[in-house]
Amino acid sequence: MTKGNHIGGDNLVIEDLNFAYSNNLKIFEKLNIDVKPGEFLAVLGPSGCGKTTFLNLLAGFYQPDSGTSQLRGEAITPEDPHLGYIFQAANLFPWLNTIENVEFGLRMTGMGPEKRREIALKNLEMVGLKGFEEFLPNKLSGGMRQRASIARALCLEPHLLLMDEPFSALDEILRDKMNDELLQLWDQLGQTIVFITHSIEEAIYLSDRILVLARPPGGIYKEVINKLPRPRDLRETKSSELFWEYKKELNNLIQEVQAQAPLDESEIAELELGAKNG
Amino acid sequence: MSAPAVEMKQDKKLDSDKEKITGWVNVIRNNASWSWVSLPSLFLVWMLVAIPFESYILPQPWEVADEAWNEMMFPTVSEVMDDDGEITIIPEADRPSVWKFIAKGEPSNALAHLFRGELWPHVGWSLLEEVGGFGAAIIFSVLFGFLAGFFKGFREYIVPLNGLFMAIPPIAWAPLMVIIFGLGYTTIVIVIFISAVNPMILTIMEGVLQIQGQEVRAARVLGARKWQLFLYVYLPASLPFVTAALRIGFSQAWRALVAAEMIGASVGLGYMVQTAGEVGNSRLVLLGITMIGLFSYLFERTLFRPIEKRYEVWRLE
Ligand SMILES: Nc1ncnc2c1ncn2[C@@H]1O[C@H](COP(=O)(O)OP(=O)(O)OP(=O)(O)O)[C@@H](O)[C@H]1O
Ligand SMILES: [Mg+2]
Repeated sequence: MTKGNHIGGDNLVIEDLNFAYSNNLKIFEKLNIDVKPGEFLAVLGPSGCGKTTFLNLLAGFYQPDSGTSQLRGEAITPEDPHLGYIFQAANLFPWLNTIENVEFGLRMTGMGPEKRREIALKNLEMVGLKGFEEFLPNKLSGGMRQRASIARALCLEPHLLLMDEPFSALDEILRDKMNDELLQLWDQLGQTIVFITHSIEEAIYLSDRILVLARPPGGIYKEVINKLPRPRDLRETKSSELFWEYKKELNNLIQEVQAQAPLDESEIAELELGAKNG
Repeated sequence: MSAPAVEMKQDKKLDSDKEKITGWVNVIRNNASWSWVSLPSLFLVWMLVAIPFESYILPQPWEVADEAWNEMMFPTVSEVMDDDGEITIIPEADRPSVWKFIAKGEPSNALAHLFRGELWPHVGWSLLEEVGGFGAAIIFSVLFGFLAGFFKGFREYIVPLNGLFMAIPPIAWAPLMVIIFGLGYTTIVIVIFISAVNPMILTIMEGVLQIQGQEVRAARVLGARKWQLFLYVYLPASLPFVTAALRIGFSQAWRALVAAEMIGASVGLGYMVQTAGEVGNSRLVLLGITMIGLFSYLFERTLFRPIEKRYEVWRLE
């Protein structure tokens, strides 16, 4: 990876946030989170518990029904230049080739073509896609698309990076590699990262703190402060006792969440309705 | 010792022949498209069907071609009328024709003479009407299609109207338009417009609706403002649907044009077919039909197909 300049992170404060989808499906009740500048926060939770909803609220795609979510003390809008969002699916623009996709954000700022190409190339190289500049997204593999989308988000040097299961489409080897690269990058640039994942091990390996979300309606079920020393190395970290302690603890927590008050029929109907509308 | 050598040589020759054959088979396999057969086979059927008929009832294709070429397109003037209305027949060798003027190097005379070909005004007016009606339909359908895609209220308002207009065959409007506007350009253009604009609006609207929310979201987090979203996301994402709409609209318009000209025009390919039919001139009828098909084919091939091919490239999946 190439050396980037330290960007630093912004702090993110969520206070008493309530949110329900328009079909009255309550997802969050009195959610309170304080993310420190430069913190790496991982969010775990079973499928359908509201992780993507959480990120969309943070990004300002949805408005909370009450309560606030603020970046640097201001309400967040999706267009905020300090905000980066890496989606669960790569969401590249199919009509642009890889390099044009990566420069898209810079183009929106009105930056000249030569300068933005230079920055885009640097980021493309960083995610290991040098040589694929002219490829259209449908000529890239799933993992390559996801990496291109990461390069696309990084071009704008976001202070807050929201990542929604970014590596779940990758095979394990590539995933480990991308995790290491993400850590290196974060080490250099120091952004605030909110990282959603299904994988307990990934969460432990990457983060400073892990939130386990409860079933809706709810919020945080439990939080685990991750005291594993940095810099981390996958082998070393995985051979430490602490790693396995965390894993056991989180395993239990997830199982507890899954065993949480089973939904009654009307709630399931509501959920199904929600899934259809979504 | 020499015999086996000869045999070997023969074998080799056989092998190379085989290779040649398999080579050709592969060439054909890889490049063969049966599309080149379709038009000739149509002409063949025409020729066979025409055999039992008298030429003035169902002429052979070459008779139509001859009539078209020498009478309708590049006529040779064989007689002149002077001011007193007296007709003199020009001797064979002196008869003027486009080709003679070109050979003599008089392009302006050649052009002037070309307009004596009766076919050209029909073709010209038909194309002009198509340009007018289809052009207006493009402007309206892009505007209304996008509006309907973006605004739910407008969509709910306009979709039933589109459906209604599409349920009425466009030609049904022709008599009314003739009453209001008389025979001619305006009438035809309006009928064409009605027939093309409705399916075009619906196609563009569906396209805009299909543009995934995810792409818009991705653009927004990358800092795209409203107008940038329109310019850099909605517009490129909708190009395939807009070209599809153009194709549909063009062919709708062209069909309506020919039908409308049979009722509401005094010139044009449809009018030509209609009047030729009335006087029993089957050559002219067939020439008209051929022209109608030819132009539609040409536009499809040279304009719409290439544009559409461009957007097929980036489709995901
Ligand atoms: N647009 C929407 N309208 C209504 N309900 C929705 C919408 N999007 C999601 N939901 C509902 O909200 C709940 C949380 O969805 P969300 O996508 O946040 O889950 P998730 O934790 O990200 O799941 P996964 O791990 O499978 O991605 C689900 O029950 C879902 O049905
Ligand atoms: Mg999700």
